[in-house]
Amino acid sequence: MEANPISVILVNSDSKGDRLLFRFPYATDPRQHGENCQQIRRRNPYALTVNADLLQSQPAQTSNIQHGRLTGFTDEVLSTLFAVKPELCERKFELKVNDVRFVGHPIQLPASSQSRSSLGGSGSKLDTPSHTILINMVFALHATASHSIVKCYYDLSKRLGVALRHEEKRCAYVTQETKIMVTAHDEFSARQIESNVDGVESAFDIILQRSTLAKQLKGVFQDLIQTGLIRLRINNWLQVSFCLPQKVHQIHFHRKNCIIEPEAIDRCLQSLRPYHGILLLVELSELLESLPPDASPALLRLVQVHSPLKSLQTLSADADLTLAQVFQLTGHLVYWAKATIIYPLCESNVYVIAPDAPTDQSSQLVERFSEQFPGMSLLQTMSEFSLPTSIGQIVSPLSGSQAQNQLTQTVAWMLRHRLLLQLHTYVYFMATSRGLSWSHQEGSVLTGRGEGSFHSTPEEQLSLGPIGTWSGGHARSDSDASSISDDIAMLRAEKQYQLLHHRDQLSQVQPSILNGMGMSPNLDDGSTDGDKGSGLIPEELLADFSEAERVAILKIPAATNSDDLALLAKLHRNGYLRGIHHLEEIMYSENLRRSQLLQLLDKFRDVLVTCETEDPAISIFYSHL
Amino acid sequence: MSSNDKDRFYEGCGREGPIRCIFLSEFHPTAGPKIVCQVPDNYISKDTFESVSVYIIPKAQLQRSMLTVTVLGFKILGFPVRIDDKKYARNAYYFNLCFVCDAWARTVQYESVVRKLSDYLVAMELESSFLSSQQDHSSESARLPKILRQVMQELNSHKMCTLSEGTMTTHLKVVRILQDPPPVSDHHVPIFTESPDLFQAEQWDLTTQKVLPYIDGFNHVAKIAAEADVENNLVKACLQNLVYYGVVSMIHIFQYSNVYATTPKIRRLAEDRRLQEECIRYVARYPRQPPSVRDVFRMFCSMTRGTTVRDLCIRLSPHTLRINERRLVQFGLLEGFIRRIHKFPVGSVEKPDSQSTVPQSFNGLLSMDEYCCQYSLTTHKLEELIDRETNIAVIWK
Repeated sequence: MEANPISVILVNSDSKGDRLLFRFPYATDPRQHGENCQQIRRRNPYALTVNADLLQSQPAQTSNIQHGRLTGFTDEVLSTLFAVKPELCERKFELKVNDVRFVGHPIQLPASSQSRSSLGGSGSKLDTPSHTILINMVFALHATASHSIVKCYYDLSKRLGVALRHEEKRCAYVTQETKIMVTAHDEFSARQIESNVDGVESAFDIILQRSTLAKQLKGVFQDLIQTGLIRLRINNWLQVSFCLPQKVHQIHFHRKNCIIEPEAIDRCLQSLRPYHGILLLVELSELLESLPPDASPALLRLVQVHSPLKSLQTLSADADLTLAQVFQLTGHLVYWAKATIIYPLCESNVYVIAPDAPTDQSSQLVERFSEQFPGMSLLQTMSEFSLPTSIGQIVSPLSGSQAQNQLTQTVAWMLRHRLLLQLHTYVYFMATSRGLSWSHQEGSVLTGRGEGSFHSTPEEQLSLGPIGTWSGGHARSDSDASSISDDIAMLRAEKQYQLLHHRDQLSQVQPSILNGMGMSPNLDDGSTDGDKGSGLIPEELLADFSEAERVAILKIPAATNSDDLALLAKLHRNGYLRGIHHLEEIMYSENLRRSQLLQLLDKFRDVLVTCETEDPAISIFYSHL
Repeated sequence: MSSNDKDRFYEGCGREGPIRCIFLSEFHPTAGPKIVCQVPDNYISKDTFESVSVYIIPKAQLQRSMLTVTVLGFKILGFPVRIDDKKYARNAYYFNLCFVCDAWARTVQYESVVRKLSDYLVAMELESSFLSSQQDHSSESARLPKILRQVMQELNSHKMCTLSEGTMTTHLKVVRILQDPPPVSDHHVPIFTESPDLFQAEQWDLTTQKVLPYIDGFNHVAKIAAEADVENNLVKACLQNLVYYGVVSMIHIFQYSNVYATTPKIRRLAEDRRLQEECIRYVARYPRQPPSVRDVFRMFCSMTRGTTVRDLCIRLSPHTLRINERRLVQFGLLEGFIRRIHKFPVGSVEKPDSQSTVPQSFNGLLSMDEYCCQYSLTTHKLEELIDRETNIAVIWK
């Protein structure tokens, strides 16, 4: 378990020097100690000590971890290492010693004599001038832990540090706690000298009884190992919450080798689109309970209207939130492993079994599934999805709505446990034996001159203004599906298409406007072509294709239908036929119905290649990828 | 650093970086920790050194530990050493030879080099007081800066370096640290990931040299062991070693009953021209008449769950498309365009027969392949058996 911390250490340094205040875990198991000695003794019972060997190398230390605990460091060594010089404060501190990596965020606190005296009850009032104390909260990790894990621990140390700084300013909390710990250390060493026996108790036991900060550090350490979630109040005042995503996701899915990096989650969230949906991974009531009392009301609203059948866009309408807000809230839920991203459940969704799904007959999931759905067997239900299967295929029209409901629930359950994977269809336009057309890369000089001229100069873009807004408004009235303003490029592509599409009408209706807007000459050519009659429309629509592609397309009977051809050309021009966008995305952005699209794919199947794979944007949660 | 570099080199990018600087520091009996010699000069400033000196010349407990500290944009790797001897001012000589890299770089690969170089310096010190006798290492005539400069230049450019000073010689080599490769089983098939002509066969050990000629992407491990007349476990160890160095990769036995499915990586084949050329050359049935990109791509895309290679061959007839389907599958697996879909039977037969030579119950942990291997059955026979039984579900994944 690389994500687990080995130890947490609190070090301070002030005018009196540095001191290790607290470390957890601290107990050294005498049994382990004995074992250790034996190991050392057993290492080479018959080995001769060769002089040359001595010359070459004394044995080097290689490991500081034993039975999952930190060894080989005394408290003094640790405190000198972590009481850093002032110039290293307020920044990331990272030190690797053999196979242990220490990470922390040292902070400097201005501790004035005033704050000390205001503490009261301290008895010995110090009249020292104001000076700074340094506090460093260091986590010891396995050196093999990935960089993102280290970064998360650094973040945690920083958060706790910032909270401590605030509490120090507010009521000298750190000074007070430090005092308790130092006193405990002193008392303990005094007692040891007195009685000259080292009992089972150590100074840290006393500290743990007296200091709230030490108790909280212990809690932090234990929470990190158990759940990866931390929620605490420093000094019963400041709330600090933290989530170790690698751990949280791992625990949720019971997959040991599956570590989800926060970077992967970020990437997933960046590719989030309004047609995606969310699926809660925990029960609604459980989620509501885990929320702090001051949780955002927007989150509550979102969670309450949530359903796996709804897209984020619908959710934003239902919860009366902006789409951006919904995206952000979704990001939170996903990061904290409370929800996952899916394509909303519908009849046409195609699912298969996830490659890392456990098929073990005796796995925990099997039991939990039959608890949830009495009389059903998980593995039988799973095997229905051995071949790519859509929900529509399983539900027969005769079975009532109850059966359908049941099926939706089982699918949602399996998705929640990542046993199923959705397949999407991607389309590639390959009219010639050379594969995809290369006009995009090889420059618009050879092909698609019209398209190139639109992008090239700023004036032309400006001159597009009036028509652009008009067509944008047009699209919006068409459907609110395409009214998402964040994808400017898409919108512009759409404008272009509509401009081209309506060019004939426009040129007939308002030729003066067109001329006035300074259209490039080749567009004028187009409009004159259009004047010649409808027979030539295909030629014009095919402008983006290469000569060989045109020949291949025109061979297809459906090419005589100018509507179909126009749609194909439009999809091609907008880059949807390059295997980057799945059918659902095309449907969404171009405002098409599935049947329309499927018909088109069927008609032009000679020049199109379709491929079914998972959506890479949301498949990060499956460990094989 | 340009903005482009910033995108590529950030902390945690996982890239290996060059050595920026090598310095030797020692504990001076009066002045304390200080840098004795540094190449290039003044890469680590005096201030920086002072703020990290506690990690360079640490307490006694940390002697002979590998220490790496990341601060102020540097990553400093050191291996502090102490030599006890009465002749030194404090009865001991402390020194540390450190490599400095950029903070973003991965540096584990240098750890063994730092350790070995330190040991070399220790030996030289014991032999001729090489380090402690030269008071002024920064002067032109001094040997140490020359050695350090040579180490830095040669390790950065060739990843290896040979030092000889007087009678002592040492060889330094930067070895990539990779994860342990998974264990190799009998039914795995090794396949070269790069052309075997590219590396010298002589550099491998004798057993590997014996095994190498039988690796063709079709022979499985057990067969290679039999044909090369090498013990099975030795073959596995050899192959695992080759996998570690990325020379071979493990795939499954090719059968016409195998099922494959495309992965999102297939998109690379559509977009990468060079990959396409490589691919059609690899899968061509006749080298002179390569198949067309579209046919190859279409064939990959037709691989879905439920479609066996046999079905594909019947439907698309790769022979007339000039495609060698076995090599097509190999290429797809190597590049990750396709993934093998395994069948996992779960359940037990209705009337168990303890005398039977076929498996009676399936716990869901083993794939059909493994059952076939274990009970020496053909896939066909096992499938028939499972089809007959209603209690056994088959999960494809």
